Amino acid sequence: MRVAEGPLPVDEYDVAVLGGGVNGTGVARDLSLRGLRVVLFERNDLAFGASGNSSGMIHGGVRYLSQSPKVTETSCRDSGYIQHIAPHLLFRLPFLMPVKSGAQGRIAFELIDAYFRAYDDYQPLKHGEPHCRLDANDLARLEPGLTGSIVGGITFDEWGIDGARLCTLNAIDAIEHGASVYVHTTVEQIARAEGQDDGGRYVVEARDRDTQERVRVRAHVVVNATGAWSPVTAHLGGLPQARVRVRPGKGIHVVLDRRLTNYGILSEAIDGRQIFLEPWQNVSILGTTDDDYYGDLDDVRATSEEVRYLVQGVARVFPSVRTARAIGTYAGVRPTLYAYGPNEDALSREHEIVDHTRDGAPGVYSMIGGKLASYRLFSQELSDQVARDDFGVAAPCTTHTRPLPGGESVPDAMALADKHGITPVAARRLVYRHGQRALHVLERVARRPREREITCVCEPVMEAEVRHVVRHELARTVDDVARRTRLGLGACGGMRCAARCGQIVAQERGLPPHQGQVMARDFVEKQAKTRVVAMGPEQARQEALALAHLDATLGVRP
Amino acid sequence: MSRGDVVVIGAGAAGTAAAIVAARAGARTTVVDGGTGASTLWTGAAHATDAVSAEARDVAVLLGVTVARSMLLPTSARPLVAHGHDAAILDLDPLISARAAIAVVGCDRPQWDAELVAKWDGQSLFPLEAAMLRHVDERALPDADFAARHDDPSRLGWLADRLREALARSERKPVALLLPPSLGVERSRAEELSKRVGVPCGEALGLPGGPPGLRFEAARNRALASAGIHTARGRVTRIEPSGGKWRVTLAANGDGGLEADAVVVAAGGLVGGGLEYQSSEWMLAAAMPPYSRAPFRCTIDGPLPLGSRGKPLELPGSLYGMAPESIAWPFASDPLMNRVGVPAASDGRVAQGLYVAGELVADLPRTWLDALESGIRAGVAAAREALSVTSPQSASASAASATRP
Repeated sequence: MRVAEGPLPVDEYDVAVLGGGVNGTGVARDLSLRGLRVVLFERNDLAFGASGNSSGMIHGGVRYLSQSPKVTETSCRDSGYIQHIAPHLLFRLPFLMPVKSGAQGRIAFELIDAYFRAYDDYQPLKHGEPHCRLDANDLARLEPGLTGSIVGGITFDEWGIDGARLCTLNAIDAIEHGASVYVHTTVEQIARAEGQDDGGRYVVEARDRDTQERVRVRAHVVVNATGAWSPVTAHLGGLPQARVRVRPGKGIHVVLDRRLTNYGILSEAIDGRQIFLEPWQNVSILGTTDDDYYGDLDDVRATSEEVRYLVQGVARVFPSVRTARAIGTYAGVRPTLYAYGPNEDALSREHEIVDHTRDGAPGVYSMIGGKLASYRLFSQELSDQVARDDFGVAAPCTTHTRPLPGGESVPDAMALADKHGITPVAARRLVYRHGQRALHVLERVARRPREREITCVCEPVMEAEVRHVVRHELARTVDDVARRTRLGLGACGGMRCAARCGQIVAQERGLPPHQGQVMARDFVEKQAKTRVVAMGPEQARQEALALAHLDATLGVRP
Repeated sequence: MSRGDVVVIGAGAAGTAAAIVAARAGARTTVVDGGTGASTLWTGAAHATDAVSAEARDVAVLLGVTVARSMLLPTSARPLVAHGHDAAILDLDPLISARAAIAVVGCDRPQWDAELVAKWDGQSLFPLEAAMLRHVDERALPDADFAARHDDPSRLGWLADRLREALARSERKPVALLLPPSLGVERSRAEELSKRVGVPCGEALGLPGGPPGLRFEAARNRALASAGIHTARGRVTRIEPSGGKWRVTLAANGDGGLEADAVVVAAGGLVGGGLEYQSSEWMLAAAMPPYSRAPFRCTIDGPLPLGSRGKPLELPGSLYGMAPESIAWPFASDPLMNRVGVPAASDGRVAQGLYVAGELVADLPRTWLDALESGIRAGVAAAREALSVTSPQSASASAASATRP
C-alpha cells in the first residue's frame, strides 16, 4: 500500500484536493477510481472538522421534505448507496418523537403523522422501516424513561455511522487507487504554474506541520474541499473570498458514558429548536447546537453554556440525562451556504460547486455546503464535472457500487473471537470499524499474540489495531488513533490508554519514546478540555486523579 | 474534665503523620479512617517543594517511604525525578550516574513492555526475559493483585530462582533488576528479593491505584497500632464546639461520635473526598437555582470556610456558579481546583483546637511530602493545645466566633 510519504518535491498530478473531510476524501476516491492521479492535503487530520464531529448519522433529511423534497430524495438514495458500500459501518438508529398532549398537541400529532407518512415513501431507498404511530402506552413501553404528559409519538428510522471512519476509508481507497494523501500538511500557496507545457496549470505548495518538510506539486485541477476553512483556502489562491462564502455554524455534542436508550429521542430546546439524544456505538450523544462561529477553526470547543442548553432541553422529555455521566463533548463547524438574514436553522443544507473560471482560475473548484449523508453524491457531481470538462474522461462514477475498503463483506465477529482468542466485545467493535479488514488486524494478532493486549479498555481497542491504523490508515498521533479507533473516547477519557498508545505510536513511527509521551499528554489535555465543561462532582474527582495520573505516567510536571 | 484528646480526621499521609506525632507528644489520639483517598491511590513517587524536615523523614520511614532525591522510571519509560519513593521502587539515580547495566525484567503483563522501557537509555538498560508468571490468570491480574502474590515467601523464593536463572543465562551482568509493579502489598518485598537474587531489585513506577497505595495502607496500620493510636472507621459529617471540647459526628453513628480537645482535619481534597466540587453544573438541567453559590464545599459541616490565596471563596456573579473552564485544568496553569481549601496558619490552625492538614489546606502544594509535613506541624500543635491547661470557656467562645460562614 502506498502511504503518504514518498512523492518527490515536484510531483505531477491531475488533481490536487485540499481538505481531508468527507467531501475531500470522497472526491479523491471518486477521481482515483476514474484513473486520475490525485493528491490530497489535509491541514490537521482526516475528519478533523465537521466530518468527524457530526451527529454520526446519515439521515434521510426528513426536515427538508416540505421545502425541498429533492434533497430528501437524494439524501435517502445516497444513504442506500452508503449502506451498500460500507455495510459494516452502519447501524440502525430508530428515533422516537414524543408529542406533548393538549389540544395543540393532538393537532400537531396528526400533522406529524401525515408528514412522516410522506417520508415513508422515501424509506425504501435507504432500506428503512416505515414510521409507526404510537399511543402514550406504547411509547411508555418502548421507552419507560420518557416523562411528561404525552399524547403519543411516532417512530422513524435512520442510520448511524462513524463519520471519521467514513473519511478514513475513502482516503484509504483513494490511496489504494494511486492517490497520495498528506495529512498534517497545510497548503501555503496555490499559484499558476510558469509556462503552459504538458504539466499542471497550478503549483500547490504545502508544509508538513510536524516535520516542517515542504511539498510542492503541480496539478491541472485544484479542488477546495476545506469546509468551514474554504474562504481561508481560497485566499491562498488569490481568489475572492466572497465567492466561497460560508455561514460557519458551530454544532456541539455532549457524550454520555453509556447507551441510555435503545432509541434516539427528539426533544425541543428552550428556543424551540429540535435537539436529540441518540444511542451511538457504546455511548449516548446529545445534539446539537447551531450557532454562527467565527473563532479559530483549529480549536473549536463546547462551552458549559452550550452543554446546559442541550441537557436542559433533552431532560424535559428524558430526565435521566440529568444524572447521567457526561464524559466529554465535541464540536465542529458546518460549512453552511452563505445567506444574510435567516437564523442558523433556516439555512439551506444544500451544496454548491463554485467554478472559479469566472475568477480567472479555470480548473479551480470550491465545494461549499453539503452534509455527511450526501457527501458521495456531492463528490460525484464534482468529479463528473472535473472528469468531463477538464480531462475529457468518460469513465463513469463507481463510488456507489464499489465497496469501501473492508466493506466487501462483514465477517462473523463471534467466529473471529473464538478463532483468535479475543473477547466477543473486542471482536464486534473491531469488525464494526474495519469490516473485512478486521482480518488484517487479526493476522497481526496471529503472528504476534502479544498484540492481542487491550490498549483501550473502554472501547475496547487491541494493540494490533493501534499499530494497524498507524501503519495503514495515516494515523500519526494519539489523537489520530482516537479518531480512527475511538481509543480514549470512552468513559476513562484516555487516562488509562493514552500513555500506552503514545508508546506504540512512537514505536511504530520510529520516534523517541519521549515524543510518544508528548502526544499522550496532548491528547489527555485535549480530552480534559472537552470534558471539563460538562463537569459534575464525580468528574471533578476524576480530573484531580487525571492530574495525578499524568504526573505518574508521563512525568509532565515536577 | 480530663484533657489531652486529639481526634485526627483522615488516615492518609497527612492524617497519619499528625496522629503519630500527637501520640508521641502524649495525647490520647484517635484516627478516623474514611476509606480510600489520594494516599491509598498514590503511585509511590513522593515530591516536596521545600527541604524535608528530620521529623518528616522519620515518619516517612514508618510509612515505608524513603526520602532521597531519586530517579524513578515509570512503565511509560520517561524518568521522573522525585524527592522520595515507596521502598519497593527502584531508584535509578545512583545507578544511572554510574552508567551501570540495569536489566528490565520482561514478562507478559499489560502496560509492561520491557523492551520499550529499556529503550529509554539503550546504554544502561537492557531487557531480560524471565518467567515471572506462574499461573495463566496472572497475565490479566491488576498490578496490586499480582503484587499480593509475592507476599507469600515461597512464591517470592520461586521468583528469585527464576530471576537467578535469567541472570545466569544473560551475557550482560546487571547491577540491578527493574521489575514491573509486583513486589508485595503487605510490605515491600524488594529487599528480601534483592537478598535472594544477589542484586538490588525494585519496581518501576506504576499507575495510581497500584501496589504502593496498598503498601502505604499496610504500613500505616502497623504504624498506628504500634503507636497505640485508636482507629475509628467512617466518614465524619460534622464537627462543632461543645462544652469546651470539639464534638465529631460520624455518618450513621447516632451515639454521639467522638469528643476531643483538639481536632486535626486531614480529610483530603477532591480525590480524598474532603472537598466536593459543587457548582450548579452537577444538576445540569435542573431549573435555575434560586441563589448563587460557591462551587466548592467542605464535606464536613463545621467552622471550615474555604478560600485560596489568602481570600475567602467568593460567590460567583452567576446563578450557575463559576464556569468550570475558569477554575479547572488544563485551562488554567494554576487552577483554583488545585488551590482551594481551608485557609490556615502555617501550623494548620483554623480556630482554637481546630487544625487542618494535607490537601484540605488552601494553597498547600499538592504533593505527598508537603502533605506529610503539614500533618506533622498540625499534629504537634494540636497535641500541645490539647495537653495545655486552658479554660474551657475561652475555647468555646473562640470557636463559636469562628463558626461557619
